[in-house]
Amino acid sequence: MMDLKPAEWVRHAVCHPVEGFEDMRWKKSGSVRTAFLIVFLLFVAQVANGRLYGFQFGVTYDKTFNIIPYIVQSIILFAAWVVGNWSVCTLLDGEGTMKNICIYSAYALVPYIVQVFVNLILSHILVRDEAVFIQAISIIGTGWTAILLFSAIKSVHQYSFGKTVFAIILTIVAMFIMLFLLVLFMSLVQQVYIFISTIYTEISYRIRV
Amino acid sequence: MKKRFKKLLTPIFSFVLGLNFLTSLTASAGEPYDVYNYDRWGEAIPSQAGYIADRAVSGYDLGAGAFDNPNDIFYDHNDIFYIADTNNNRIVAVNSDFDEVVEIYDRFKMPDGSETTLKKPMGIFVSAENDYMYIADNENSRVLISDRDGNVISEITKPVSEVYDQKRTFLPQRVIADKAGNVYVVLNNITTDAAMFNPQGEFTGFYGANRVQPTAEIIGNYFTNLFISEEKKARRARNIPTGITSFDIDGDFIFTCTQSSTQTTDTVKKLNAAGNNIFANMDLSFGDYTPMYDTSQNKVLQPAICDIDIAEDGNINVLDFTTGRIFQYDEDCNLLFITGTIAKQVGGFDHVAALESKGENLYVVDSSKDTVTVFTETDFGKIVHKATRLHNDGYYEEALEPWYEVLKRDGNYRRAYIGVASALLRKGDYEGSMKYSELADSSRIYNKAFEGYRMNYLKKNFGFIALIVIVLSAVFVFVSKKLRKRRLAIEKAKQEEQDQLAILDRQIRILEEASVFVRGGQNDNDENEKEEKWI
Repeated sequence: MMDLKPAEWVRHAVCHPVEGFEDMRWKKSGSVRTAFLIVFLLFVAQVANGRLYGFQFGVTYDKTFNIIPYIVQSIILFAAWVVGNWSVCTLLDGEGTMKNICIYSAYALVPYIVQVFVNLILSHILVRDEAVFIQAISIIGTGWTAILLFSAIKSVHQYSFGKTVFAIILTIVAMFIMLFLLVLFMSLVQQVYIFISTIYTEISYRIRV
Repeated sequence: MKKRFKKLLTPIFSFVLGLNFLTSLTASAGEPYDVYNYDRWGEAIPSQAGYIADRAVSGYDLGAGAFDNPNDIFYDHNDIFYIADTNNNRIVAVNSDFDEVVEIYDRFKMPDGSETTLKKPMGIFVSAENDYMYIADNENSRVLISDRDGNVISEITKPVSEVYDQKRTFLPQRVIADKAGNVYVVLNNITTDAAMFNPQGEFTGFYGANRVQPTAEIIGNYFTNLFISEEKKARRARNIPTGITSFDIDGDFIFTCTQSSTQTTDTVKKLNAAGNNIFANMDLSFGDYTPMYDTSQNKVLQPAICDIDIAEDGNINVLDFTTGRIFQYDEDCNLLFITGTIAKQVGGFDHVAALESKGENLYVVDSSKDTVTVFTETDFGKIVHKATRLHNDGYYEEALEPWYEVLKRDGNYRRAYIGVASALLRKGDYEGSMKYSELADSSRIYNKAFEGYRMNYLKKNFGFIALIVIVLSAVFVFVSKKLRKRRLAIEKAKQEEQDQLAILDRQIRILEEASVFVRGGQNDNDENEKEEKWI
């Protein structure tokens, strides 16, 4: 029973929002490689969405291109989700390991990525009056991913419905805390850097004189 | 051979270089500032000048003695300029070429025969309807209405009305009159805006007040005011908008401007007869997008629009006091040109006070330099104005040629790309329109052009597309059938293999049974187990 290849597992998980991840857990399957590939595709999708969207739906600012926001929107966001969820659910008796959270969450992103690419193609075919199709696809894709993400967290930790909701809220809080700490750390590093560079400048002037 | 070639090349190179140097010199000799315009993202980019400073005219040049703090200029229907020479207490009338004084008004004859003089006149207006001069006689606290020979017809003084706070003074700053003879007066110290008088000189109310800018502080004050007592409320600072600074009339509309370094709403308004602002909800911004940063004072300078002028062709010129720049907009408020700066040279200003236009010329009064600077339109400005006029009147296709000409001279000029894109769209050249709307960063025009392009494409290639769809679906059906067959075949083969294995097993069993039979003695249980396995 259910001897599927990694790609088939992705299809199974995406097409069976309720049972798919449970099956995956039961068979102890899912590969990190596929998960990373999906996250990379998410990154590609975000970049494509930002740069290659149909011109009739809005103008891209193409004087400069900065890759950092796209990385933050995809890879960093996903990493924060995984780390945040892991750290919360370790305390909440979750059964999932970091690896499994990563794999299951990544699999859940597939409808969103597909939606982005489909809309990207549609944006070069439709005009503004027909934008409702794009909106519909976008809502379906995002909603599907949300349901899958919920189901993924539920099965990977073997939680009840209520506890999953609670865990997800806490995960989002944890992500914000991480963001806060990151900003704090950055500004601290900056302060230290400025301090050191000032001292260096001062000393270099003294030596010269 | 090689040497000769080199010898020949050197003078050519030097000549070209010299030519280059010469042209660059002549090109930069025009203005004491860099001419710029804004792109779609609100970033300043180099541009061609639409106006160039021709000369600065002082009172001496006109033969009227030096101006002293002139504050207003007006060009009337008889081709005469009037300058309100404030500190000299006179109005100077200058001919249309701006090189000769026609008349100096400093004494007026009252209806009862007595003489009267002006005291710090701040504004001057001449009505085309009745040929009267309206003078905002600031320190005499009156508006003087006189004919062009200096005979006073009537004067408007501080109104006695419940609406007009009697504790306040009446210090007219600017004055205009509409076609019906109603007089509008901008006052120094009134924030409810222009006082309005009927043709008989009776006070009828205020006109066109600015709105309060909804800053966070004011919204906060609103909520605080809900809870505190009346006495406390009376003692708190009230939220009052800045009063208007100047205005101009163009047909049925009055355009006002407000000089304020803090307020950004309602700095420029277009008011109809009912006093409603037509620009109110159009999300427009006048003056520089990004406030100028002055390094010498370490200050951010917000634009402060101190005068407005509507040209004959409907273009809106506004004068920014902070940067000394004239911003010219077309009637739909698209930025056309930015001219002027703060500088000592001709074309630069110190304290700009007023602005007037005549045909292709702009006249800017500087109240500190005591001069009037005359700007003339460049060739580039001429083409842009022509194209804009045609475009705004709806003659898109006729505007195409001038727009191409504009692009030839300045590839950064965004309005030209929009103009070309609109014209090509109207012509039905959808592909060209798409190209130019992309260059103009206008997704709205691109959308329309793309719709037409798609329609044409589908019409032209319908057969081909239908064929592709049919072929693809046929291939799909065929391949899926094939795949199913193959899968069935594989399953069948598997089944056969299993069947054969079963037969083989059975044969083995029979052989074993035979051997057991030969040897004799084998319990039944064992046999049963094996039977189960086969099933």
